[in-house]
This record gives sequence, C-alpha cells and structure tokens, in this order.
Amino acid sequence: MKTGFNFAYLDEATKRMIRRKILKAVCIPGYQCPFGGREMPLAYGWGTGGMQVTASIIGKQDILKVIDQGADDTTNAVSIKNFFKRVCNIMTTDRTTEASLIQTRHRIPETTLNKDQIIVYQVPQPEPLRKLEPKEKETRKLHAYKEYALMHVKLYEEISQFGSVIKTWAYPVETNNRYITDPTPIPKFDNPKMNNMEALQLFGAGREKRIYAIPPYTKVKSLDFDDHPFEIQTWDECCSICGSTKSYLDEIIINNEGKKNFICSDTDFCKSNLEKNK
Amino acid sequence: MNIKKIMHVENLTHFYGNQIGCKGINFDLYKGEILGIVGESGSGKSTLLKCLSGEISPSAGKINISLDQGGVKDFLSLPEQEKRQLMRSMWGIVHQNPRDGLNLRISAGGNIAERLLNVSEKNYSFLRNTGKYWMEKTEMDSDRIDEFPLSFSGGMQQRLQISKILSSNPQIVFMDEPTGGLDVSVQAKILDTIKSIVRDINVTMIIVTHDLAVVRFLTDKLLVMKDGIVVETGLTDRVLDDPQHSYTQLLTSSILQV
Repeated sequence: MKTGFNFAYLDEATKRMIRRKILKAVCIPGYQCPFGGREMPLAYGWGTGGMQVTASIIGKQDILKVIDQGADDTTNAVSIKNFFKRVCNIMTTDRTTEASLIQTRHRIPETTLNKDQIIVYQVPQPEPLRKLEPKEKETRKLHAYKEYALMHVKLYEEISQFGSVIKTWAYPVETNNRYITDPTPIPKFDNPKMNNMEALQLFGAGREKRIYAIPPYTKVKSLDFDDHPFEIQTWDECCSICGSTKSYLDEIIINNEGKKNFICSDTDFCKSNLEKNK
Repeated sequence: MNIKKIMHVENLTHFYGNQIGCKGINFDLYKGEILGIVGESGSGKSTLLKCLSGEISPSAGKINISLDQGGVKDFLSLPEQEKRQLMRSMWGIVHQNPRDGLNLRISAGGNIAERLLNVSEKNYSFLRNTGKYWMEKTEMDSDRIDEFPLSFSGGMQQRLQISKILSSNPQIVFMDEPTGGLDVSVQAKILDTIKSIVRDINVTMIIVTHDLAVVRFLTDKLLVMKDGIVVETGLTDRVLDDPQHSYTQLLTSSILQV
C-alpha cells in the first residue's frame, strides 16, 4: 500500500533521535529525558508522546495493540490503531497475548506481559512533583539530589485529612530505588504490575517533550508509610459480563434510577475470560 | 571543659558590585552559644547572615564548619547538594516573615513533617506525634495540627516556623529578625518561648536583629555592625553595659526610656 508517508509517519532522522533518547531513558530508569518532540497529526493530550515512541520502535513484523482505559474499541484506541495500520501497513490485534507492542492510555492489561513485549504509555504530565513544585528548575534539582520529602508530605496530608491515602490513580512510584516516577494516570490497582515486569515499559509525553523508561525486571515501589502501607482498590462486586473478581472494574450507571453495574475495564481480558468459562 | 567550636569565620567579605555588603568579618561560634548580630538597617547584618547560611556566596573569606559527623569542612566549597542537605536538616533558618519559611499550601503538621521527612522518617505516627510535640513545645494548640498556616495569627505562624525548624534537632539555627513585624506583647511571649527551648535543647543560634531587647534577652555574645564592618564584639552584657565604640554607645543610648 502506498501511503505518501515514511514508514511509521516520522522521518528516519527523527526516529533515530527518539531511539537514542529511549536508550538513555532505559539506562537511567525513571529519569525523564527531554527530546525534540514533533507535531503529530492529532492534538496534544491524545497520545502524541506515546505515538512518537511507538513510531520510532515499531517494525514491519510488529503486531500492535492499542488500548484506552483498558478498552480496544474506544475512540482514542481505534484512531491510533488505524493510524499505524495506515502509515506502517502492519498487523494489529485486540489480543494482549498476540501483541508485540502495546500502546496504552490509563491501564496496564490484566494479562501478565512477557519479555518479548513492549508497553508504551501515553503520558499527560511526566513530572510527579509538578503540582507540589511548579518550577522546572527546582524539580530537576529535587530529582538530582533525591530530595523527595514533598511527595511524602502530600501522602501525609491525605492521611491526616481523610484517614488514608486517597490518591487512586497516577500514584507515585519509586523506580529502581532512585527516581520518583509518575506511572501515568493508571489506577493504583495496576501499580504492582509495574514491579519486576518482564516487558520493557516506555513512557512518552508529547506536550512536555519527555521520555522515560522502566527496563524489564526493575524494582518499582509505590510510595507509602511504614504504618500506612500501600493498598490497591478492591470491589465487593464481580464483573457482570465475565464474572471475574480479579480484574479492575468500571462502574457503569445503566438507567435513570441510578442502577449500577460493574464490568471489566480490560475488554480483551473480559472476552477471553468469558470464552474460557463457556 | 572543652566546648566544641562549630563554626570559624575568617575575613568574610561580600561586595555588591562596588558597594560593600560586609567586610573582614571574623568570629568563632561554639556549641550551645547564641550569637547576636546587631546594627542599623544597611549595616550588612543580613548580608552576613546570607553568606553564613549559604544563600549567597561571599566575594572573599573562609567559613569552616565542624559537623557532628564528618569533621571540619570548608563550607564555601561544599557542593550544592551538601549545602541544601545541611539547610534541610542540620541547619535551619527562621525567616522574619513566616510565610517565607512555611509552605502555605500544606497544613501545620505537614510543614513540620516536611522537615522530618528530609531526614527520611517514613512513619506516619512518628511524624504526627513529633509534630504535636513541637507544637506544644512552642506553646501552640496541638489540636490545630491539621489547620493551614494562613488560619493562624502572625505570632502563631512564627511559632509554627520555629517548631518546624527545631523539629529536626538542628545543629545551628539562623534567625533573621524573628520577632520583627509582631506586636510587643506577642514579641515578648515568643522570646520567652525561644529562650526556654534553647536552654532546654542546647541549640546553637545566630540571631540577626536591630532590637537590643532581643539580644539582651537571648544572646551570649554580640557583634555590632556598622557600614559593613564589625565595630565591636564581646559578651552581650559587657557590650551593652559598657559600650566602647561610639556607634555602640549611640545604639545603647537610643533605647526609648518610657
């Protein structure tokens, strides 16, 4: 198929530059590498960072899966998938197990990823300290000197006000005992999956022009206090489609009386689970 | 008795362009000592404090510091990281305006916790209890630990700032006009608080002020500054009761006798 674009949209020089930054990011787990972010044919905030990372590492043999909030069939996921189908002429899939490259927004698939896979996160705000310290010059120093008291102060404040840490998404983690990293707006339910993950984790922030990475088998620890350990979300309900009690559930209002239903946020997991149980 | 020298300042000089900030300052600071620096506005006392606390790097001179761990070090050639680490735990500055020293977006307890977390205590109840302990120690109501600094009065904000700094058990505390901008009765109460605490925990302090009442009440030794140089130095009561330099004489005689 003739597309009129270079393979994977970006020109080769740009892809080389981004790959170089990815290598640097992998060498310094959790460190945010600035890169010369390019304009992508969609607006900032829709995954331009993740797409640039994907575009620079994707090959003709790759099978791409794109998810948005766990689902394969939402607007953002479908558009990005179609985009790469068009500019790379590659195979795409909904199946986590078949994919060699997964671009994600806001979730990590329930199925455990393996060492042959790469997961690319779309990052809205790469700097976990940004809301606590607005100056970039200062946050860089805080990272460089490992002065992370502010982050724990935030957790302290939540415990003192609400009795427990109420942050349920983008819950800050410490990567490889060094850098505090924003795991992107994934639910804290997914944080433990990042620890010692077999797959390579890459993070691209388009507007902020930063790339960071967590290499395979790297220690990722969610921040907590000794006497207030980190906990993930739990539900009393199970998925109303597949009956799973182990997955992350979305709450859905299904009528005007406010009747609620819970279903798996990971659509592929839900489907396979349903097939398995049939 | 052998009292440990913790700071040795030699020929400390700072110029702002051609303007003298402070010039040829020499003094030694011993453990547990409270040193007062007095002088009129523009006499260089704030410049001196900024040089000592690492906020600006002086044009010339030497500052040797002796830490609890690590022996004697040349303060001015310490890497930025170590200076910041010092300021965040072993040293502390109490600013004239408490809003400079407090984080207004976090609660009183959070402010104290931030200081303690710098020396990495990751235990919530420890932070909580230490916060309450220091609030009570500085005569605040520990039930207000979850309130924000802006809901406190000026005097209470200053007390909070002092408890924040003292909570990490610092080696040296720098105070820049700690009671400036407060009314007289609140000033007196805060000075009382400071005095009872410093005797209690044996902290070393350098206080910059233009208020002779403050130095008489709190300090052991005194540097009198004028036009960037030290004109007189000695034990506080000696300097105040028997001033030698004409400027010190002027200063002591300018106290309003009501």
